[in-house]
Amino acid sequence: MVNVADKLKDAKIKINSLDFDAHWYRRAFHAFGASFLIYYLLPDVYLINLLKLWIPPLIVLFVIILEVLRLTGKISSDHFFGLRMYEKKRVGSYVFFAVAIIILLRFFPQQIAIPCILCATLGDPIIGEIRRRYSMNYVYIIGFFVCMYFFIITWFKADVFLIILVSIVGGLGALIGETKKFWWLDDDFMIQMIPAILLLIIWIGIPHLGLSYPDVIISSSFMHW
Amino acid sequence: MVKKEMEYVKKQYYFSKIIRTEILFTPLLIGLPLIVGSFFIYDWYIRGVIGNCTAYNGELILGIIIIIGNIAFDMPFIKSLKVLSKKK
Repeated sequence: MVNVADKLKDAKIKINSLDFDAHWYRRAFHAFGASFLIYYLLPDVYLINLLKLWIPPLIVLFVIILEVLRLTGKISSDHFFGLRMYEKKRVGSYVFFAVAIIILLRFFPQQIAIPCILCATLGDPIIGEIRRRYSMNYVYIIGFFVCMYFFIITWFKADVFLIILVSIVGGLGALIGETKKFWWLDDDFMIQMIPAILLLIIWIGIPHLGLSYPDVIISSSFMHW
Repeated sequence: MVKKEMEYVKKQYYFSKIIRTEILFTPLLIGLPLIVGSFFIYDWYIRGVIGNCTAYNGELILGIIIIIGNIAFDMPFIKSLKVLSKKK
Protein backbone atom coordinates (compact mmCIF):
# COMPACT_ATOMS: atom_id res chain seq x y z
CA MET A 1 0.00 0.00 0.00
CA VAL A 2 1.25 3.45 -0.93
CA ASN A 3 2.14 5.62 2.01
CA VAL A 4 0.60 9.00 1.16
CA ALA A 5 2.44 10.84 3.93
CA ASP A 6 5.81 9.58 2.67
CA LYS A 7 4.93 10.52 -0.92
CA LEU A 8 3.91 14.02 0.15
CA LYS A 9 7.12 14.38 2.12
CA ASP A 10 9.16 13.29 -0.93
CA ALA A 11 7.28 15.76 -3.13
CA LYS A 12 7.97 18.60 -0.67
CA ILE A 13 11.66 17.76 -0.57
CA LYS A 14 11.80 17.65 -4.39
CA ILE A 15 9.97 20.98 -4.74
CA ASN A 16 12.10 22.61 -2.09
CA SER A 17 15.29 21.38 -3.75
CA LEU A 18 14.60 23.96 -6.50
CA ASP A 19 16.52 27.14 -6.07
CA PHE A 20 15.92 30.65 -7.36
CA ASP A 21 18.22 33.49 -8.21
CA ALA A 22 17.10 36.20 -5.75
CA HIS A 23 18.10 38.93 -8.18
CA TRP A 24 15.82 37.72 -11.00
CA TYR A 25 13.07 36.82 -8.55
CA ARG A 26 13.03 40.43 -7.44
CA ARG A 27 12.90 41.65 -11.04
CA ALA A 28 10.02 39.27 -11.89
CA PHE A 29 8.22 40.43 -8.72
CA HIS A 30 8.47 44.03 -9.89
CA ALA A 31 7.09 43.21 -13.34
CA PHE A 32 4.26 41.24 -11.70
CA GLY A 33 3.01 44.52 -10.17
CA ALA A 34 1.73 45.60 -13.61
CA SER A 35 -1.11 43.07 -13.08
CA PHE A 36 -2.74 45.51 -10.68
CA LEU A 37 -3.80 47.58 -13.71
CA ILE A 38 -6.66 45.07 -14.07
CA TYR A 39 -8.29 47.28 -11.41
CA TYR A 40 -9.34 49.71 -14.15
CA LEU A 41 -10.68 47.04 -16.49
CA LEU A 42 -13.03 45.46 -13.98
CA PRO A 43 -16.71 46.18 -14.70
CA ASP A 44 -18.47 49.06 -13.00
CA VAL A 45 -21.10 47.03 -11.12
CA TYR A 46 -22.01 47.07 -7.44
CA LEU A 47 -20.42 43.80 -6.32
CA ILE A 48 -17.18 44.36 -8.24
CA ASN A 49 -16.99 47.96 -6.98
CA LEU A 50 -17.33 46.63 -3.45
CA LEU A 51 -14.44 44.22 -4.09
CA LYS A 52 -12.40 47.03 -5.68
CA LEU A 53 -13.03 49.12 -2.59
CA TRP A 54 -12.01 46.49 -0.05
CA ILE A 55 -9.55 44.04 -1.60
CA PRO A 56 -6.62 46.44 -2.29
CA PRO A 57 -6.55 47.89 1.26
CA LEU A 58 -6.91 44.38 2.70
CA ILE A 59 -3.91 43.20 0.65
CA VAL A 60 -1.86 46.17 1.87
CA LEU A 61 -3.00 45.58 5.46
CA PHE A 62 -1.98 41.92 5.15
CA VAL A 63 1.44 42.95 3.78
CA ILE A 64 1.94 45.46 6.64
CA ILE A 65 0.98 42.87 9.27
CA LEU A 66 3.42 40.37 7.70
CA GLU A 67 6.17 42.98 7.79
CA VAL A 68 5.46 43.89 11.41
CA LEU A 69 5.63 40.21 12.34
CA ARG A 70 8.92 39.84 10.44
CA LEU A 71 10.51 42.91 12.02
CA THR A 72 9.44 41.85 15.49
CA GLY A 73 10.91 38.40 14.84
CA LYS A 74 7.61 36.50 15.06
CA ILE A 75 8.01 35.29 11.46
CA SER A 76 11.43 34.24 10.27
CA SER A 77 13.00 36.29 7.47
CA ASP A 78 13.60 32.90 5.77
CA HIS A 79 10.04 33.12 4.46
CA PHE A 80 10.77 36.45 2.72
CA PHE A 81 12.84 35.52 -0.28
CA GLY A 82 14.91 38.16 -2.08
CA LEU A 83 15.31 40.57 0.84
CA ARG A 84 18.37 42.78 0.63
CA MET A 85 20.80 43.16 3.53
CA TYR A 86 19.69 46.74 4.19
CA GLU A 87 16.08 45.53 4.44
CA LYS A 88 16.86 43.10 7.23
CA LYS A 89 16.11 45.60 9.97
CA ARG A 90 14.04 47.98 7.91
CA VAL A 91 10.60 47.86 6.28
CA GLY A 92 10.91 45.77 3.10
CA SER A 93 10.63 47.53 -0.24
CA TYR A 94 7.60 45.42 -1.20
CA VAL A 95 5.58 47.24 1.48
CA PHE A 96 6.50 50.63 -0.01
CA PHE A 97 5.70 49.24 -3.45
CA ALA A 98 2.22 48.08 -2.36
CA VAL A 99 1.42 51.26 -0.41
CA ALA A 100 2.37 53.50 -3.35
CA ILE A 101 0.27 51.42 -5.76
CA ILE A 102 -2.81 51.60 -3.56
CA ILE A 103 -2.41 55.38 -3.08
CA LEU A 104 -2.22 55.78 -6.87
CA LEU A 105 -5.17 53.49 -7.59
CA ARG A 106 -7.42 55.12 -5.01
CA PHE A 107 -6.51 58.80 -4.94
CA PHE A 108 -5.07 59.70 -8.35
CA PRO A 109 -6.72 59.89 -11.78
CA GLN A 110 -6.08 56.91 -14.01
CA GLN A 111 -4.02 59.04 -16.43
CA ILE A 112 -1.52 59.71 -13.63
CA ALA A 113 -1.65 56.36 -11.85
CA ILE A 114 -1.03 54.08 -14.86
CA PRO A 115 2.31 55.53 -16.05
CA CYS A 116 3.58 55.86 -12.47
CA ILE A 117 2.76 52.21 -11.75
CA LEU A 118 4.44 51.18 -15.03
CA CYS A 119 7.55 53.18 -14.04
CA ALA A 120 7.81 51.17 -10.81
CA THR A 121 6.85 47.78 -12.22
CA LEU A 122 8.80 47.84 -15.50
CA GLY A 123 10.90 51.01 -15.49
CA ASP A 124 12.56 50.26 -12.15
CA PRO A 125 13.85 46.77 -13.10
CA ILE A 126 15.02 48.05 -16.50
CA ILE A 127 16.93 50.89 -14.80
CA GLY A 128 18.29 48.37 -12.27
CA GLU A 129 19.64 46.15 -15.05
CA ILE A 130 21.23 49.12 -16.82
CA ARG A 131 22.84 50.16 -13.53
CA ARG A 132 24.31 46.68 -13.09
CA ARG A 133 25.77 46.47 -16.58
CA TYR A 134 26.65 50.03 -17.62
CA SER A 135 27.67 53.35 -16.11
CA MET A 136 25.38 55.80 -14.31
CA ASN A 137 25.27 58.04 -17.41
CA TYR A 138 23.38 55.29 -19.25
CA VAL A 139 21.04 54.96 -16.26
CA TYR A 140 20.08 58.62 -16.50
CA ILE A 141 19.65 58.66 -20.29
CA ILE A 142 17.93 55.32 -20.90
CA GLY A 143 15.97 55.48 -17.62
CA PHE A 144 14.59 58.87 -18.57
CA PHE A 145 13.48 57.74 -22.02
CA VAL A 146 11.95 54.49 -20.74
CA CYS A 147 9.87 56.34 -18.12
CA MET A 148 9.05 59.08 -20.62
CA TYR A 149 7.69 56.40 -22.96
CA PHE A 150 5.21 55.19 -20.31
CA PHE A 151 3.85 58.73 -19.94
CA ILE A 152 3.58 59.25 -23.71
CA ILE A 153 1.57 56.07 -24.28
CA THR A 154 -0.83 56.88 -21.43
CA TRP A 155 -1.38 60.47 -22.51
CA PHE A 156 -1.53 59.82 -26.25
CA LYS A 157 -5.12 61.10 -26.37
CA ALA A 158 -4.09 64.48 -24.91
CA ASP A 159 -3.05 67.71 -26.58
CA VAL A 160 0.50 67.56 -28.06
CA PHE A 161 1.74 70.26 -25.67
CA LEU A 162 0.42 68.27 -22.72
CA ILE A 163 2.01 65.03 -23.98
CA ILE A 164 5.42 66.72 -24.21
CA LEU A 165 5.08 68.48 -20.84
CA VAL A 166 3.80 65.43 -18.98
CA SER A 167 6.31 63.01 -20.49
CA ILE A 168 9.29 65.24 -19.66
CA VAL A 169 8.12 66.10 -16.13
CA GLY A 170 6.99 62.52 -15.44
CA GLY A 171 10.18 60.98 -16.84
CA LEU A 172 12.37 63.33 -14.78
CA GLY A 173 10.28 62.74 -11.65
CA ALA A 174 10.52 58.97 -12.00
CA LEU A 175 14.25 59.14 -12.61
CA ILE A 176 14.79 61.33 -9.53
CA GLY A 177 12.62 58.95 -7.50
CA GLU A 178 14.66 55.96 -8.65
CA THR A 179 18.15 57.42 -8.28
CA LYS A 180 17.68 59.34 -5.03
CA LYS A 181 18.19 56.83 -2.21
CA PHE A 182 17.07 57.18 1.40
CA TRP A 183 17.52 54.50 4.05
CA TRP A 184 14.05 55.07 5.49
CA LEU A 185 12.10 55.62 2.28
CA ASP A 186 12.42 53.15 -0.56
CA ASP A 187 12.86 54.05 -4.21
CA ASP A 188 9.87 51.79 -5.05
CA PHE A 189 7.74 54.42 -3.31
CA MET A 190 9.57 57.44 -4.66
CA ILE A 191 9.56 56.32 -8.32
CA GLN A 192 5.76 56.28 -8.14
CA MET A 193 4.94 59.19 -5.89
CA ILE A 194 7.32 61.90 -7.16
CA PRO A 195 6.04 61.84 -10.77
CA ALA A 196 2.48 61.39 -9.47
CA ILE A 197 2.67 64.55 -7.36
CA LEU A 198 4.31 66.52 -10.18
CA LEU A 199 1.65 65.35 -12.60
CA LEU A 200 -1.11 66.16 -10.14
CA ILE A 201 0.11 69.76 -10.13
CA ILE A 202 -0.05 69.78 -13.95
CA TRP A 203 -3.46 68.08 -13.79
CA ILE A 204 -4.85 70.84 -11.57
CA GLY A 205 -3.40 73.44 -13.94
CA ILE A 206 -4.83 71.92 -17.15
CA PRO A 207 -8.08 74.00 -17.17
CA HIS A 208 -6.05 77.15 -16.41
CA LEU A 209 -3.89 76.45 -19.48
CA GLY A 210 -7.03 76.41 -21.61
CA LEU A 211 -6.63 72.69 -22.36
CA SER A 212 -8.95 69.75 -21.81
CA TYR A 213 -8.33 66.61 -19.79
CA PRO A 214 -7.31 63.56 -21.84
CA ASP A 215 -9.70 60.60 -22.03
CA VAL A 216 -9.04 57.56 -19.89
CA ILE A 217 -6.92 54.85 -21.49
CA ILE A 218 -8.78 51.93 -19.84
CA SER A 219 -12.56 51.86 -19.69
CA SER A 220 -14.47 49.58 -17.35
CA SER A 221 -15.32 46.37 -19.13
CA PHE A 222 -18.87 45.08 -19.47
CA MET A 223 -17.46 41.66 -18.58
CA HIS A 224 -19.03 40.14 -21.72
CA TRP A 225 -15.88 38.09 -22.01
CA MET B 1 24.64 52.83 -0.59
CA VAL B 2 27.34 50.33 0.43
CA LYS B 3 27.66 47.48 -2.07
CA LYS B 4 27.47 44.84 0.65
CA GLU B 5 24.08 46.12 1.70
CA MET B 6 22.76 45.50 -1.81
CA GLU B 7 23.49 41.79 -1.40
CA TYR B 8 20.62 39.46 -0.58
CA VAL B 9 19.93 37.97 2.82
CA LYS B 10 21.31 34.43 2.94
CA LYS B 11 18.88 31.83 4.15
CA GLN B 12 18.88 28.49 5.86
CA TYR B 13 15.99 26.47 4.49
CA TYR B 14 14.08 23.87 6.43
CA PHE B 15 13.30 21.50 3.58
CA SER B 16 11.17 18.95 5.38
CA LYS B 17 8.77 21.38 7.09
CA ILE B 18 6.92 23.39 4.46
CA ILE B 19 7.07 24.34 0.78
CA ARG B 20 8.95 27.61 0.54
CA THR B 21 6.80 30.71 0.03
CA GLU B 22 8.68 31.88 -3.07
CA ILE B 23 8.01 28.52 -4.77
CA LEU B 24 4.31 28.69 -3.91
CA PHE B 25 4.17 32.24 -5.24
CA THR B 26 6.07 31.61 -8.49
CA PRO B 27 3.15 30.29 -10.66
CA LEU B 28 1.14 33.39 -9.73
CA LEU B 29 4.16 35.62 -10.33
CA ILE B 30 4.56 34.32 -13.88
CA GLY B 31 0.98 33.47 -14.83
CA LEU B 32 -1.13 36.39 -13.57
CA PRO B 33 0.54 39.20 -15.57
CA LEU B 34 0.23 37.14 -18.76
CA ILE B 35 -3.47 36.54 -18.06
CA VAL B 36 -4.04 40.23 -17.27
CA GLY B 37 -2.18 41.31 -20.42
CA SER B 38 -4.24 38.87 -22.48
CA PHE B 39 -7.46 40.26 -20.95
CA PHE B 40 -6.46 43.75 -22.04
CA ILE B 41 -5.84 42.56 -25.59
CA TYR B 42 -9.03 40.51 -25.64
CA ASP B 43 -11.06 43.47 -24.38
CA TRP B 44 -9.50 45.66 -27.06
CA TYR B 45 -10.42 43.04 -29.66
CA ILE B 46 -14.05 42.72 -28.51
CA ARG B 47 -14.81 46.41 -27.95
CA GLY B 48 -12.24 47.98 -30.25
CA VAL B 49 -11.99 45.73 -33.30
CA ILE B 50 -15.43 44.08 -33.37
CA GLY B 51 -17.09 47.22 -31.98
CA ASN B 52 -15.12 49.28 -34.51
CA CYS B 53 -14.01 51.87 -31.94
CA THR B 54 -10.50 53.34 -31.69
CA ALA B 55 -11.04 54.52 -28.09
CA TYR B 56 -9.78 51.15 -26.84
CA ASN B 57 -6.41 51.18 -28.59
CA GLY B 58 -4.75 52.12 -25.30
CA GLU B 59 -5.78 48.75 -23.88
CA LEU B 60 -3.96 47.00 -26.70
CA ILE B 61 -0.78 48.99 -25.98
CA LEU B 62 -0.99 48.29 -22.26
CA GLY B 63 -1.68 44.60 -22.83
CA ILE B 64 1.37 44.29 -25.07
CA ILE B 65 3.57 46.22 -22.61
CA ILE B 66 2.45 44.05 -19.67
CA ILE B 67 3.05 40.80 -21.58
CA ILE B 68 6.40 41.77 -23.15
CA GLY B 69 7.65 43.43 -19.95
CA ASN B 70 6.86 40.36 -17.90
CA ILE B 71 8.24 37.85 -20.37
CA ALA B 72 11.46 39.89 -20.53
CA PHE B 73 12.01 39.43 -16.80
CA ASP B 74 10.41 36.00 -16.41
CA MET B 75 12.71 34.36 -18.96
CA PRO B 76 15.99 35.06 -17.14
CA PHE B 77 14.23 34.22 -13.88
CA ILE B 78 13.19 30.79 -15.17
CA LYS B 79 16.63 30.26 -16.71
CA SER B 80 18.29 31.07 -13.40
CA LEU B 81 16.10 28.46 -11.75
CA LYS B 82 17.30 25.76 -14.13
CA VAL B 83 20.98 26.65 -13.76
CA LEU B 84 20.80 26.61 -9.98
CA SER B 85 18.93 23.30 -10.01
CA LYS B 86 21.63 21.72 -12.18
CA LYS B 87 24.31 22.99 -9.82
CA LYS B 88 22.54 21.30 -6.94
